[in-house]
Amino acid sequence: MIDALGRPVRNATITIEGQVDGTVAKTGRDGTFVIDAPIGATLIVEQKAFGVGLATVIGNTVDDIVLLTEKQLGETIEVNSEAPAVAPGAAQLDRKELQRIPGTGGDIVRALTVMPGVVNLQLPLGYSGVVIRGSSPQDSRVLIDDFEVPVLFHNVGFRAVIPAETIASLDYIPGGFDVGYGRASSGIVALTTRPGDEKRSTQAEISVIDGGLLAQGPIGKDTRYLFALRRSTIDFVLPKVIPASADLSLTTVPRYYDGQLRLDHQLNEKWKLTLSDVGTDDIFELFATKDENATSKRFYNRTRFDRLTGSARYKDGPWLANIALSGIYTQFLFEAGLYQNIDVRTAAVTPRIDITHTDATAGGLKDVVWRVGAEAQVSRVGVDLALPNEKREGEMMAGMMFDPKDVSQQFKGHVWFSDFAGWSSVTASFDKRVRGTAGVRAEYFQRPNEVAIQPRGELKFQLAKPWQLRLSAGAYRRPPEFQSELLEKGIQSERSKQAIVGLQYEPKDGVRVQASTYYTDRSALITHDAMGKLTNNGRGTTTGAELLATYRGGPWFAWLSYSYSHSTRVDQPGAERRLFSYDQPHSLNAALSWQKGHWQLGGRFQVYSGLPFTPATGSVFDSDHNIYVPILADANSARAPIHHQLDIRVDYSWKWGPVAMTAFLDLQNAYMNKSIVTYFYNYDYSQRAAFTSLPLIPSIGLRGIL
Amino acid sequence: MKAAWIGLGGLLVLGACAGDLDEQWQLDHDRIIAVRATPPGIVSGERAEIDALIGAVGQHPVERPPEIATVVSPMSLMGTVAPDAGKWYVTAPDAARLAAARTELGLKADAPVPLQVGVSYSGQTLLAFKTVFLGETRVNPSLDDMMIDGAAAPGSTTEIVVQPLTDVRLSVKADVDDTVNWLTSCGTMHDFDLPNAYLRVEKDDPTTGDLGVVRRVSDGGVAWHVWTIRAD
Repeated sequence: MIDALGRPVRNATITIEGQVDGTVAKTGRDGTFVIDAPIGATLIVEQKAFGVGLATVIGNTVDDIVLLTEKQLGETIEVNSEAPAVAPGAAQLDRKELQRIPGTGGDIVRALTVMPGVVNLQLPLGYSGVVIRGSSPQDSRVLIDDFEVPVLFHNVGFRAVIPAETIASLDYIPGGFDVGYGRASSGIVALTTRPGDEKRSTQAEISVIDGGLLAQGPIGKDTRYLFALRRSTIDFVLPKVIPASADLSLTTVPRYYDGQLRLDHQLNEKWKLTLSDVGTDDIFELFATKDENATSKRFYNRTRFDRLTGSARYKDGPWLANIALSGIYTQFLFEAGLYQNIDVRTAAVTPRIDITHTDATAGGLKDVVWRVGAEAQVSRVGVDLALPNEKREGEMMAGMMFDPKDVSQQFKGHVWFSDFAGWSSVTASFDKRVRGTAGVRAEYFQRPNEVAIQPRGELKFQLAKPWQLRLSAGAYRRPPEFQSELLEKGIQSERSKQAIVGLQYEPKDGVRVQASTYYTDRSALITHDAMGKLTNNGRGTTTGAELLATYRGGPWFAWLSYSYSHSTRVDQPGAERRLFSYDQPHSLNAALSWQKGHWQLGGRFQVYSGLPFTPATGSVFDSDHNIYVPILADANSARAPIHHQLDIRVDYSWKWGPVAMTAFLDLQNAYMNKSIVTYFYNYDYSQRAAFTSLPLIPSIGLRGIL
Repeated sequence: MKAAWIGLGGLLVLGACAGDLDEQWQLDHDRIIAVRATPPGIVSGERAEIDALIGAVGQHPVERPPEIATVVSPMSLMGTVAPDAGKWYVTAPDAARLAAARTELGLKADAPVPLQVGVSYSGQTLLAFKTVFLGETRVNPSLDDMMIDGAAAPGSTTEIVVQPLTDVRLSVKADVDDTVNWLTSCGTMHDFDLPNAYLRVEKDDPTTGDLGVVRRVSDGGVAWHVWTIRAD
């Protein structure tokens, strides 16, 4: 037990939460203490010179607990250690550490690519979500403050829609997530925004991609605010790098705005209220010609959303409750030429409640945590659609030639969704070494009129001291609400069953090694049948193994992750088994960062398999529509070559009067490896060329904090 | 709904990077440029001739009858395509067979029957299909008001001469629903898929070749015109 200056705190009293006449310990002269407490128990720390604090037992030793005076930080206790993983293979990413990882441009969400199990793509290819364990982006959910957001990345600039400075933590759960999460059949990425600091400050940051302002501080004694606004700057750069000879007219240069607001108010000792708002707005318009009157060659896109969440946290002895009401408005608008367009506007309201109660003993079990929760999601989706038939996973996109008059899929109207979920679980220790969780999540999806019962559970075994074994299994559902699925009434949710075995090794402070192996069985996958109708006839499996090793010590931070994955599917009964489009067998990331004085230096090496693709072997010319219809080989029967690259980051910090300045240079693909991302074909599929990764992506920026 | 259009966005990026591949306006390429039925719509007892404009590397584009032609759909009208004196013709069957075909395709009683004809060239390495409408008379469009470099387009036998490193304006009259393609094997074509395009012979471009225009209308009709061209 230490104070803010690192000095031992003596005579602090430590008790176990929930044990009225339980064990009591006191710290000695050197600040140490010994107490008999089970894993997962909450310790209450009291010392008259300091505020009351809490700490969680995560092993046989507890890392330094820093006690702060009331003046310093109210009742907060900081535990300088990694939080325990919420599922085998899961990790909570610390904002400051991940900002140190080279090749991310300081973008915390892009730092996800270092996680084992996340499918990696070279720039400039990308996708709007996150692909976990070889499935598809729509199979995983991205949450901000417990609620889903429709996009994670901007269309241009390769940036997340939420800046790193406003994030408190990022939870990455590649599978085996608990009953509190639903509507996903693969994994979860959960971002938590942070409250404003206790000290008022303003900071600004600018780079060649974007620039932003952040203001934070207290309002009175019990309230804090944080406000951030960011705007792209790449739209000032882009027109200057487009060659004059290009048949292109950027009438609205791609640009985006991001905004965040968070207010936190401590109502009393038991209630804490939070209001947060997250929003983004992407827009661009271009003409694939210099003639801006040629509307047949016009492309326009606008993607925006705003999510407003009000939440209340109640904590009273063994009771903990989180109550929230969240609303979101999203719009995705795309217009291509004279005939094709899509305008999807969604308004959704989601109330959510999650309650836990902790008992020291119950029914012969120890440290029993009961959990119950419920959620509703009521959405109205307005759709104005005139497009070619949608391509599903593994089906080749239109290629270089697409028919600008093809509006085979049309819809104008709106669709209502009213989905409800309830969950309950119990977690308890059977003895000192074994702790288990059993729970069930029940969901009702109104549009397909489907009830989904999803049992889930986990067992944790504390082996010999640094070793921990975890077994997890569960059932998961993704409702049929992705793209054209929402226009079909006759299809049901996609299903998965996951089994994970994980081993964790923590030989000493700052060192953690996690290994896991998993098997996922997927069924009722939504695919096109021979007539082009959506059905639940697909099946698939994913097997894999992942390793994550981290080291934090002194000025060093090191990260090593490796994943092996094999992900296959059968689209219709009797069809050939094929690879998922995002099957990536091997992915390795090794990063090392050193920080001392004014300088921070880092390097990251990554090597990963290329993604599968479907080769074209020829074409047939459709003379009526002036398009070439490709003759395709088996779906995903070829694979792009392996990719490797080195990223380097240098930060330099200094004081400029009252302003703390930081300048950074982030170089992606420093040795300019031009590996093949994929192949693309000419208009009649008689020729193909390699589409290579960008040779070097520099990111230069400047940050000032006042 | 977003991901499908992420794909399209990607295509735009890819399209911008397709410098190593033949562009669609490039005539110096082995391919079927357009298939024509003359006329594109016929009534019972009439027949329509099938031919195509064929491009080939190092050669002038030529109009040719198919090496093989056959009915692709509907199957009940198999046999309505046949050769005659080195050419291929579609003959519209009697009203009873057309009625059976309408039933097969789920069409209304008076609807024209789309007969999809498959054609092949170059030893079946070049394949295409073309729709001929049966039970309704239709005609191919004309190419009107064609302008090249500010002057009315000359006849096919006249060689066009343009200046290098100069934007040569090309235009043809077309309705908003029409598809127009300007094609060349001499120079670089810009806005090839608009009625108003321009040709520019850059320093490294071939200085001789052909210039062509193809106009497709929404009822299945097609027309084309080809000139020889030289930059001097």
